[in-house]
Amino acid sequence: MEQRLRQEAKTLLEQGKVDYIIGFEQGSLKFTTTPLITKDKGDADRLVINPFIVNNLSVYLTDIEGRVGVVAKGCDSRSIVSLIQDNKVNREEVVIIGIPCPGIIDLSKIEQLVGKDRDELDDITRDGDRVVVTVDSKKKDFPITEVLFDNCLGCEFPTPKEYDVLLGEPSTPVADKTVSRAKVETLEGMTQEQRWQFWEEEFSRCIRCYACRNICPACFCQRCFVEESEPQWILPIPQWQDNLIFQAIRNIHVAGRCTDCGECDRACPVNIPLRSLTKEMYDLVDELFHYKSGMDKDAPPLMTAYETEEAEDFIR
Amino acid sequence: MANRKINKRDIEKLLSQWGQEFTVLAPSKESGIATMSKWNGKHANFLDWYRNTVIPPKGNFFPSMEKMFNFQKDKEGYHLELPASNEQKQLIFGIRPCDARSLAILDMTFKDAYEDPYYLPKRKNALLVGLGCTNPYDSCFCTSLGINPAESSDVDLMLIDIGDEFLIEEVTDKGKKLIAAASGVEEASEADEAKAKEAKEASYNKVTRKIDTEDIKRKLSSSFDNQDFWEGIAAKCISCGICTFLCPTCYCFDINDELAKGLGARFRSWDSCAFPIYTKMPMENPREEKWRRVRQKVYHKYGFYPMNFGVIACTGCGRCIRQCPVNWDITQTLDRLPAEA
Repeated sequence: MEQRLRQEAKTLLEQGKVDYIIGFEQGSLKFTTTPLITKDKGDADRLVINPFIVNNLSVYLTDIEGRVGVVAKGCDSRSIVSLIQDNKVNREEVVIIGIPCPGIIDLSKIEQLVGKDRDELDDITRDGDRVVVTVDSKKKDFPITEVLFDNCLGCEFPTPKEYDVLLGEPSTPVADKTVSRAKVETLEGMTQEQRWQFWEEEFSRCIRCYACRNICPACFCQRCFVEESEPQWILPIPQWQDNLIFQAIRNIHVAGRCTDCGECDRACPVNIPLRSLTKEMYDLVDELFHYKSGMDKDAPPLMTAYETEEAEDFIR
Repeated sequence: MANRKINKRDIEKLLSQWGQEFTVLAPSKESGIATMSKWNGKHANFLDWYRNTVIPPKGNFFPSMEKMFNFQKDKEGYHLELPASNEQKQLIFGIRPCDARSLAILDMTFKDAYEDPYYLPKRKNALLVGLGCTNPYDSCFCTSLGINPAESSDVDLMLIDIGDEFLIEEVTDKGKKLIAAASGVEEASEADEAKAKEAKEASYNKVTRKIDTEDIKRKLSSSFDNQDFWEGIAAKCISCGICTFLCPTCYCFDINDELAKGLGARFRSWDSCAFPIYTKMPMENPREEKWRRVRQKVYHKYGFYPMNFGVIACTGCGRCIRQCPVNWDITQTLDRLPAEA
């Protein structure tokens, strides 16, 4: 698949079909990949596909001018479609190189399971439904349901539906929806007071680095409300109350755009479980509007469309 | 005078003893991430997992948000109420040599143009007990910046892992006083000293990521206007604040007021040159484009700070590499600086 990708990227650049290729290359740390954004066909041989291609590369599409060939997993391709729906990306100017995604490995989970940091591990290999981790020359075996990202475990569409090239056969969802929603369920089981206390503690750690917002393809506003000063919606200082409101409003803004790619959660340097909010919103959108983000490029964006027969029982 | 040593299992007792005089801070994961936090008074289990903190110790002196003063607005105007002066004596146990150096670097800024009344009193009242690294991360590159991960002259006391014990080096007079009355401390033998020397060498050799500061200095002097290079380097950056906020030597802050019903407070909080709004002015923004902001960060650390203070504002702690969500790696940028034209 990697060889085909490299060939595809080279051809696209050579034939002038795209100005840029956005894909993944080997990162500078163990088990890490990094976005590769290039105009140079000579760089195509650096492209990789492996179980560590975490980033949702569609975030760069609103940043780069020209025609772009972009590597996209299932969730990423939906983010692209969502950007097309919002008129942020022109379908004609993007070549989607689809990757049927077998699920991405969550290094934090592996660190927890083996009690070592990622740079202390010798090897991590995916073998079908298992992942083998080699630590101190000893092999440890885990089912993928224990080591894939929570959002991958809940992913219904691992294979891109919108693409120009699809590399490989469609992959089947891993589907462990219990694990995928576990954190949300825990929160729903709490009393209101307990939940409030939970989020107070979590958002007390927030340093307002805005990595959650900047890594998010759905957060494409030219100017974010947090930076407005007249009126000032929230204070720019990282008080937990303001941090919580920032995240709550961000969540509402990405409702109907969020594809549950999990990037906000992964990017957070202080481990705030942001996906517990985005996943709940994702499921609510589905429940109330029977809508899943980024499935149809010709559909109007969820929040701009209204139908008179729409149920209004969500007003409660 | 010969150095001393302490058995690892006596660290709890030592911290308890110090706790009677100081607010003892030690590595902790209680908040959900590794920070230097108030010691729980119970155990020193952090010795089992601690490599370094996510939030650098700058946060203990220059927190992510800090109230500068309260104010009240009435018919006569504004009335200010300054916070009570902070006389609390902090003892930070376990600071790494890279982070101890970073505080020495921050000191330069916070007492340069004016004496910062928030940072400096906390610094003056603090004692630093360093703990040598035995297991640096693959993102660490402190040795290229003149730091041995198990050696420090920027602390009051330095502890070096020699097996079941720590060898204690008395670095300052304050440190000497601190250990003089400590319980469970005994004189180190020549064999212990030899072990410490070996440990330092071993730690040094474990740091494999390297940069060449002389080469960087030369190349930076001719790279500033190379827009193509900086655009390429900046392309994958998402302009978040992680690398600057978690950098132990980044010190930029913003100031904001909170005002409601005549009562208010002024806060300062971390700011970042990665944000476009950082340099936004009424008519223009000199760093609207991302490549200019990325360039600024690199030059501030490796070009401007050395010009102003004679030291590179980087200690090779590797946080910016470890925490970056797109794996933007400053050592790669420095390595790829174009050769002089």
